Formats: sequence, structure tokens, C-alpha cells
Amino acid sequence: MAVDRRKVAVFGAAFVLRLLLVCLFPSLPDLLTGRVEVSTPVNSFKRLQEGLFLYIRNVSPYDGGVFHQAPLLLPLFALLPDVKSSPFPTAIFYFFVDLVNAHALISISESGQSVQTRLHSAMRKHIRWDGVSIAAWFLFNPFTIATCLARSTSVFTTTGVLYAVSNAVDGNSINAVLALGFASYLSLYPALLFIPLVLLCYDQQAQSSKAPNTVRFFVQHGAILLASVAGLLGLSYLVTGNFWEFMSATYGFHLLVPDLTPNVGLWWYFFIEMFDSFREFFLGVFWLHLASYVGGFTARLRRQPLFIITSLLGVFAIFKPYPSISDASLYFALLPLYRHLFPLMRYTFFAVSALLYSSLLGPAFYHLWIYAGSGNANFFYAITLVWSLGLSILLADSIFAALRDEWEQANPESQGQEVKQI
Amino acid sequence: MALKSAIRNLRNNPQLLFVRLPPLLSLICILVGVAWLLLLPLNEYSRHTYISENALLPGQVHAYFTGSEQNIFRGYKQELKVLLNEGGQSENGQDEAEFTPAISAKIQSILQVAGLKVATQKYEYTSAGITHQGENTYGIIHAPRGDATEAIVLVAAWKTADDELNLNGVTLALTLARYFKRWSLWSKDIIFLFTPDSKSGTQAWIDAYHDLHPASVHPLPLKSGALQGALVIEYPFEHRFRNLHIVYDGVNGQLPNLDLFNTAVAIAGGQMGIGANLQEMWEHDDSYEARLQTMLRGMTKQGLGYATGAHSSFMPYHIDAITLQPKGEGWEDEMALGRTIESLCRSLNNLLEHLHQSFFFYLLMQSNRFVSIGTYLPSAMLIAGNFTIMAIALWMRTGFHPDNRAEKSTNPKPTEKTVTPISKDASAPEISGHTIAERLLALPLTLVTGLHLLGLVPLWMFNTLPHQLFTTVTYVVVAVDIVFPLLLAALLRNGLGLFTPLVPQQYLLIKSFALLLLGLSLSTLATLNFSLSFMIGLLCAPLSFINRLQCTGVKRYAFSGLGLVLLNLLSPPTVLIGVCWYTGVSVETVLTQAAFGWDVWGMWTQVVVWCVWWPAWLIGCVLLGSSMF
Repeated sequence: MAVDRRKVAVFGAAFVLRLLLVCLFPSLPDLLTGRVEVSTPVNSFKRLQEGLFLYIRNVSPYDGGVFHQAPLLLPLFALLPDVKSSPFPTAIFYFFVDLVNAHALISISESGQSVQTRLHSAMRKHIRWDGVSIAAWFLFNPFTIATCLARSTSVFTTTGVLYAVSNAVDGNSINAVLALGFASYLSLYPALLFIPLVLLCYDQQAQSSKAPNTVRFFVQHGAILLASVAGLLGLSYLVTGNFWEFMSATYGFHLLVPDLTPNVGLWWYFFIEMFDSFREFFLGVFWLHLASYVGGFTARLRRQPLFIITSLLGVFAIFKPYPSISDASLYFALLPLYRHLFPLMRYTFFAVSALLYSSLLGPAFYHLWIYAGSGNANFFYAITLVWSLGLSILLADSIFAALRDEWEQANPESQGQEVKQI
Repeated sequence: MALKSAIRNLRNNPQLLFVRLPPLLSLICILVGVAWLLLLPLNEYSRHTYISENALLPGQVHAYFTGSEQNIFRGYKQELKVLLNEGGQSENGQDEAEFTPAISAKIQSILQVAGLKVATQKYEYTSAGITHQGENTYGIIHAPRGDATEAIVLVAAWKTADDELNLNGVTLALTLARYFKRWSLWSKDIIFLFTPDSKSGTQAWIDAYHDLHPASVHPLPLKSGALQGALVIEYPFEHRFRNLHIVYDGVNGQLPNLDLFNTAVAIAGGQMGIGANLQEMWEHDDSYEARLQTMLRGMTKQGLGYATGAHSSFMPYHIDAITLQPKGEGWEDEMALGRTIESLCRSLNNLLEHLHQSFFFYLLMQSNRFVSIGTYLPSAMLIAGNFTIMAIALWMRTGFHPDNRAEKSTNPKPTEKTVTPISKDASAPEISGHTIAERLLALPLTLVTGLHLLGLVPLWMFNTLPHQLFTTVTYVVVAVDIVFPLLLAALLRNGLGLFTPLVPQQYLLIKSFALLLLGLSLSTLATLNFSLSFMIGLLCAPLSFINRLQCTGVKRYAFSGLGLVLLNLLSPPTVLIGVCWYTGVSVETVLTQAAFGWDVWGMWTQVVVWCVWWPAWLIGCVLLGSSMF
């Protein structure tokens, strides 16, 4: 029961902290909602309000080209009272979503999948945090809090991804794929997690009973994913009434990246500067680049499927077309599961410093560019580069540590030796 | 080859690399940063000013504001004077609110007769228990050749920035309004704004112009287009003047585009033959000392971030603005000032786009010499960088087991830690052959975050308490600053059963995090307000070199006691008291002004003081204090 009490304390404290922030600084949620670091065209709460306004008045929410989120969010938010007059129900709803996400994280952590998989057992198993500490890292991460207060709809994608993983590590492979289908329906990119997720499910099943037929297992789960997405799309069709309109306004928008509002990612500046004739080519290249990590990671880190998922989430936080700090917060939520790799990481301090620097300098340079008028777009872009660099260092370093861990397991005699390039 | 082996030696000697070298590097950074600033006034490093925006064409038009306009000026002045005297008030020291009814009606009628659209706006601000209220009057000339999408503002406040009655300035603005109305060449609207004072009136007006005013400020009934520039007219005396003093500092150290300043200097000097001064340097002999003094005065104003005149309120909205103050005894009369303003308005009228060509970040050292951001920024960045260097070095240091260093160090360096095997972690046996130590992060992280959040308490106090309490509270904070770090140090040393007492590694980590945050904040700040970052960086410089002392017995108490006394002399409230004593201003005045700045101008100097400087200083004191226990 002692653990439970800690969990209640952490969850309660996280809830109260968010509530206090909203009560003490009533303008904070709207301020955060307007920040480009938090709200992108595909997860902005402001745009959702616009879509909702049209939806309630029986106009197609995609008219006007402002709203680009999944249609099923509309009936959900139509149930909540109007945000302008009573902001609290919506805010509290978001607080609970955060708590639900933290709950999923705890069950992922408690499965021990991060240290002990079917094919691999970490060398430093004893260095790890328990589920509640990991949930606390997630809940008290300023990026998570900012995302939650800004009411960004990426939190639902986060829920989908975290539940997919938590079901997978518990062996409920069908639920896992259904949750992934939900996340993919909301923001498309989680579909790329399908292969590592099924690998995770496969390993779990192989461990508990006997190994199922690989091809059949994949096809089965692929079919479930397709069916779940198709079901959700069907429901969306019922909600909006115009299939192709919402498909092009949501997934088309994700894929073709027509809105180049600044964000913390790398795409917007590149596509602003590019000549139009090269646009299609580079769209293809950028998406191919993003997708190619799936194959590489899956092949190299086959023995740790959960680590593939974690690293891929890190890759998405850097190379997605519309990343925000919520993607980084999802990556930072899963990273503490690999506490046992931290002693092997070499550049944590530099990566964290780069991230801290960019999270202070980013808003400052954005202010100089947009409000003070004394800077220009390059100021902010430079900082998004530093941000991405910080994340990349962290990602590369964690992958290095994971590989080193695997290598030490294979060569126990050379444990603790200096790495040398041969 | 020699270099290569030197680097290899360095790598194999963590003692040198992480303990001896960083303080030296930090010191060099600070010294180079200061020296850099002192080099700036030299001819080799500063540049001649030049007009970057060709459309301005300063002084290329003939100014016709003379002759019969002077009679109009005298007439208006007489009318206003009569009203002022009728109010039964002495010429100086009237209450702002008393200006409004009769005089405001007079101004409105004059503007209306001249053919302007006129409106008024009431406002009220409360700060530190003092209420500031008044009524702005303004009139708009619609551009005969424009489409009301752009406008220039001319401001005349009844009270100048120095709280003198600005009768001539207001009259001049009225005369100019009548005169400008008859010209057909304006392509931008011209707004004439009359405010009761220089502190709050323009702020209320400009906030309302952009619909960002608080509830106590009335909205504007009449508006024009995007504001392209603003000029503030002051003429608070009766005699003729010699020089034009140009004030350009904005709130939070924001500056107007250098082109505006240059245009004013070019027109005053080149066309009108009036000399231009800046930063109250009445006698500028173009020497190194005079340049340096001008630059330092500019930096002080920028660093403190307060509004230096009615023009300052325009800056946050990206509207370039300056104040023109006639100074000295000479032969130039109000008509010369009027012609200067006419010529300036003609230049602004020429603009095709918002001023953007020239610099927004600069330090002026004379009316025709400046340094731009690329040249001066490294000095503040070096000072901010010294903290980061120390933070990184301390972090690296904590990664090694102390025993590794114990065997290497025979020298009695005071910072040396030779005690306590660190890890109670189970990880220790497994990697003990290895020099990598596990870091105990939780407590240092919590402490550093907590102390930074604690800064919100004094921030809140100094912005909300009534002004009578400010002096008392300042002394209370001085007392708290002396006692609190010692208490905290004792608590950390003994743990009181709440947590295990700190090990040396954790002290290093605390310092590392504190310095990292300080370096982080200061380098961010340097891009927003160079001077503030530079000043705070210098005041915090000792924090890089403060450590827990490790020497023994009496020496330790003596050194740490002495260090604490010196550090307390550099604490934010002590520095405030010291500066107030030096300049002869009362602490209460400064703090009331600061609270007013926070409430009305949106000034954030206090945030930097209480949430960046104070916590860093506090942690330095705790570290030093902990060597006492």
C-alpha cells in the first residue's frame, strides 16, 4: 500500500500544481496556447475552437482552412462547456488526461520491459527508478505542464501511444494495436511505430507461451490496425459528411506541409526558403528520411523493442513536420525508463544544457523577431537548430549507451573499458 | 606534435583540467569582457553614424515655420497662460488632475478651430498605493495624400520628464498643428497628443491605441493607421536655448532605430546649426573619457530599463520615438525648434516602409559615433560564458571519484575534497575499478529550483506593498540575506533528520546548477538587454570563485566570515542602498518608481534582480556559509 500512497501523492501534487497555475495566472493557458513552441497548426487548441465553432453551427469545420485535426475531437469537445465562459471543465479534463498518461507510464515501467526483454537483459538492472518516480518526471516536466495548460490536442496522441505500449508490455496485443490505431488516426505519424510495437507484442507472447508464427502474427495485427483506423475514419465520415474534404484537410495537411508557421522543428524554414519546383522532391526526401529510421532501428536494436519505440519517439520529436514541445515531453517521459543506461551516456550535461539554452533563448529570439522587430526569422531558426541538436545528441547518446550495454553483455570481459575506435 | 602531446597530457590530468584550469579561464573571460567594453570608445572599434534609409533625406527640404507663425505661438501661449493663472496655481507643482477641465477644453477648441479631429481619453493607474490619473487630449490631421494607414505622432506633455511645466512645448505643438494642417504634402496622418505628464499619459494612450489597455484606462474614440514614429517636444523654460538634447532610451532597454536618432542629429546640426547632445553630456570634447562616460551613462539607463521620457512608452510597440529637449543658454528660439520638428516630420513623411534599415542594438558614445551589437555583444557574452565554463567544469569534476584525485593531489588547494566515499548506490562496487562516480542529483536540483522560486516572494513584495513600507522592507531583506544563508547552510550540513547531510559532491553540484542557470539567463538577457546582463554579470562575477572552504580551524572561520561580509556587500538590497546613498536618491523613490514601472510600463528589471541575481547570490552565500559548520 505504501507505493500506492506515493502514487496518490504524486498524482495529487501534479493535479494541484496545474490547478494552482491556472487559478493564480488565469491568462497563462491562453498565453501558452498562442506560443508557437507549444501549439502547431495540427494540435493548436485555438484552431480546435475555430473548428468547433463551425461544427456546432453545422458548417463544415474544414471550411476556411484553419482547422486540421481529426474530426472525432469535435463531438468530444462539443460535450464540454464553452471555454470562454467556463474554462475550468476543459482544463480539468486535460489534467485528467495527463494523469491517465502517467498511469500508463507506471504500468510500462512496472513491467520491467526496459531492462529485461526476451532477448536481452541489461547489465545494470539494479539502477532504475520505480514507476512512480518516472510518472513524477513526466508530470512535473515543465514541457508536459506547458502542453497540458495550453490544451494542445497532442496529449491524446500521447495517450494513444502510451496505452499502446503499456498494453503491449502487458501482453494485450490486440488492445495495443487498437490504441496505436487511435493515435495514428489522430496524428498519422504513430503508424510508423507499428513494426516495433508488434515486435514488442510478439516478444511478450513468445515469452509467456510459445512463439507464434511470425508472418501470421504481423498480418493479423496489421489487419487489426487497418480495421481500427478504418472504423474511426468511418465514424469521422458520419460526423463530417464529406470524406475527401476531411482526409485532405487532416492527413493531406500532415503529408504535404502547406502551413509554414514557425515551430520548433526543422521543416518550416527549409520549405520557406525552397524554390517551389523542388518542393515535391524534398517533401518526399524529408518523409523518407523520417520513415527510414524505423527500418534501421528495428534491425539494429531488435533485442529491445521498447527502446526502438522510445528512440523513434525521439526521432519524431526532431524530424516531424510539425513538432512541438509536447513531442519532446513524450520522449522525455519514456527516457527515464532507461535509467540504467545513464551511467553509459557521455554527453547528457551538454545535451541538457543545449536544451535549456534553447528553451530560454527560443522565446527571447521569437520576441525579438515578432514583437520587438529588431531581430529576424534567422534568430528563431538558429535556436530551433540548437534545440534539435540538443535532442539529437541526447538521442544518439542514448542509442550509443544501449548498444554499449548490448556489447558489454556479449563481451563481459571488456566491461568498463574505454571505448576505442578501431 | 607538441600540441598533440600537450592535449594528451591535459586529458590524462583531470586535476589540472577540471580543478585548476576553469577558474583561470573564467577569470580571463571576465577580464577580457571588461577590457573589451573599455576598448569600444576607441576610433578603431566604434563607427561613424550614417543614414541608412535613403528615403529619409534629412534636411533636404526648406522649413517654412517662421515669421507670422511666431505671432500665433505668442497668442496661444497667452491664452494658455491666462487659464493656468486663473486656476490659481503657481506655475510649478500643480496637481496633474487639475490641468484637465478648462485647459483641456481650450486645447480641444484650438485644435478644432485649426481643423483637426479631436478626442480625449481618461486614464487611471494605481501603483504602490499611489493613484495616477489624468486625461489625454489628441487631434489628428488626416493626410491629404495618404489613406490613413500610417501616422506620425507628436507628443507634448504638460510636465516634462524632469517634472517641469512644459508650457512652451505644448504651445509649440498647438502652433505646429495649425501650421501642418495647411500643408497639402503629408502622406501620413499626424497625431498631436497632449498628455498631463510624461510618465503615464503616453503609456495609457499607446496601450489604448493598440487595444491592450487595462480596465482603468478608457479606450480611444478616434484612431488612425500604424504609427511610424513619434517625437516628443519639451521646452520647459522661457529663455532661448543653445543645444538640443536627444533622449532615446526606451523601457527595458529597447532603443529606437538608429536612423531616427541620426536624422534628428543631422537636421539639428546640418540644417539648423543647433548642436546635439546626448546622455546629459553637456561638454563633450570627443576625448576617450567623454566617449566612455557617454556610453556608460547610456548603459546605465538601458540596464535599469526605466522610461526616460514620454517617448519610452512607444518602444515596446515597435514605434521609434525620441524626445527633443532644448538645453542651455543661447540664441535659438522656439521657432528654431519648430523648424527642426517640421524638418523631422518631413523626413518621416518620406518613409516608404517602417524604419528597419539601421541598427536597433547600439551604444552611442557621441552624437556621431556608435558601436553596433556585433562589436559589443561579446563582452557580455564572455561574462555570461564564464559562469557556464565553471558549471561545466564542476559537472565534469563531480563525475570522478574523489579518491582518484586524492592520490594525485598533494597541494593544499582549499577547494580539494578528500573525504567521504561518495556512493551509497549499489552501483559503486560494480564499477569501482572505474573512475566514474554516480551523481546524487535530487537534492541539489530541488534546492536550486526552490531558491529560484523563492525569488518570487521579494518580487511580489516590492511590487505590491504600499510605498511607505519600501525602505523598511529593504532593510528587512538585508537582514534576511545575512541570516537566511547561514541557517540554510546549517540545515544542509546537519540534515535535521529530514535528509542525509550533504556530501561534498552535492555542494559542487549545487554550485554547478546555480552557475549554469545564471550563465543561461545572462546570455539570454544579453540579447534582450545587453547592459543589464553586463551589470548583473559583473556583480555576480565573484560567485564563480566561491567554494566551500576546506582549510582548518580558525583560518576557516576567519576566511568564510570575511567572505560572507564581502558577499553581503554585493547582495541586491545592499547594492541598491549603496547606489541610492551614492546618488543621493532615497530608496523609497527608487522602489516606488520601480513598482510604477512594473505596473504601468511593463518593466521587468525586477524579475531579473529577484529571480536571477538574488537566487544565484543566495546559493553563493550558502556555499560559503556551509564551510562554517
